[in-house]
Amino acid sequence: MKATAATAAPLPRLVVISEGSGGNAIPETLRAMAGGPPCMVLIREKRLQGRELFSLAQKARREQLPAGSRLLVTERLDIAQAAGLDGVHLPEEACPLERLRAVAPKLLCGRSVHSTDTALEAEAAGADYLFFSPVYDTPSKRRYGPPQGTAALREACRAVTIPVYALGGITLERVAECMECGAWGIAAISLFSEPERLRSILETIHRTTG
Amino acid sequence: MNPQKDPILCLITDLETPPVAMAERALKGGANMLQLRRKNASGRELCRLADALLPICRRAGALFIINDRLDVALATGADGVHLGQEDLPVGEARKLLGAGKIVGASTSSAAEALKAEREGADYVGFGHIFPTGSKTKGYPPLGPDAVDEAVRMLRIPLIAIGGITLENAHEPMRRGASGIAVISAVTKAEDPEEASRRLLAAMKGEAG
Repeated sequence: MKATAATAAPLPRLVVISEGSGGNAIPETLRAMAGGPPCMVLIREKRLQGRELFSLAQKARREQLPAGSRLLVTERLDIAQAAGLDGVHLPEEACPLERLRAVAPKLLCGRSVHSTDTALEAEAAGADYLFFSPVYDTPSKRRYGPPQGTAALREACRAVTIPVYALGGITLERVAECMECGAWGIAAISLFSEPERLRSILETIHRTTG
Repeated sequence: MNPQKDPILCLITDLETPPVAMAERALKGGANMLQLRRKNASGRELCRLADALLPICRRAGALFIINDRLDVALATGADGVHLGQEDLPVGEARKLLGAGKIVGASTSSAAEALKAEREGADYVGFGHIFPTGSKTKGYPPLGPDAVDEAVRMLRIPLIAIGGITLENAHEPMRRGASGIAVISAVTKAEDPEEASRRLLAAMKGEAG
């Protein structure tokens, strides 16, 4: 399985996604990760305008993350480049991935998918990794329809060669099942939303994901 | 920015009018700059619109600028980006776009305009000059006299914006503005092509 992109280190198994509430908690979250396993951190703050998002990205970049970690922002390649982040994560409604890839060949580019077909399309377009969601029922993903379930996750993971992260309703108990389906790792928002428990949760999951 | 001898007439897209048909008519009437401004559109939608608008602008010899979304400007090969005070800083946009592309900035005082120039802007939008219905502003109109002061301090072109109509288009121009930017004066006109033509004439002080 290919798992390399901007740097030589393999992509982390764990993706911490910000809550979308303005990003004030992000620096604290990043500091709570110190000494733990490497993580992909996605700044996903759709309500922020460009200048605030840029300032937040700069602040996040200044934090020391565990070796092999990656820092990404949703969609805004300009902000990723200006702040020196590792990549962008693209929702389905974003600019086509291949167009952004052409502008910034070295930037890590991931994409959200909700079916095996779109997973294959995203891989063909050059995605470095995918979020497959929602695997389980979760309030934040209900607008994407009913949960896909683990059978669909397994099918998507088999169909592509790039890393697939399971997203949507992930709990500590469900991590092993996602990995067994062939997921490269897991991505979550609420599971990682308490900085005081973050480090121990990340380490617990890391023991399962390896 | 290519120094344009002709006065700049910039059309900014509104949310109500399909932008491609509107742009075609306005450019035919002489508008020589188009700014795609669609705050809540998705990246995919902006890319799609930019892909449609860029060749129309190229054919007309007009500049094509994208509001706020530098990522979309980079991905689509637009001529540049126009940044508000809440958007990515001008200096960062300049670094990413390089010298060959255009960075414009919205400003509402001579000091802001000068700051944008120092950070590398190619032009400033300056306003609002007159009362405007386009959006609720937190401050009164600057008035046309404010253009004099700003133009004296700036080396880059100033494009006056805000409440500009056929009746007052000459005011900022005779005070040294390099052009005007309009939304409703063209998009709400019965004939956007004719409205553009008459605006250009009015800017030169010719009777519409």
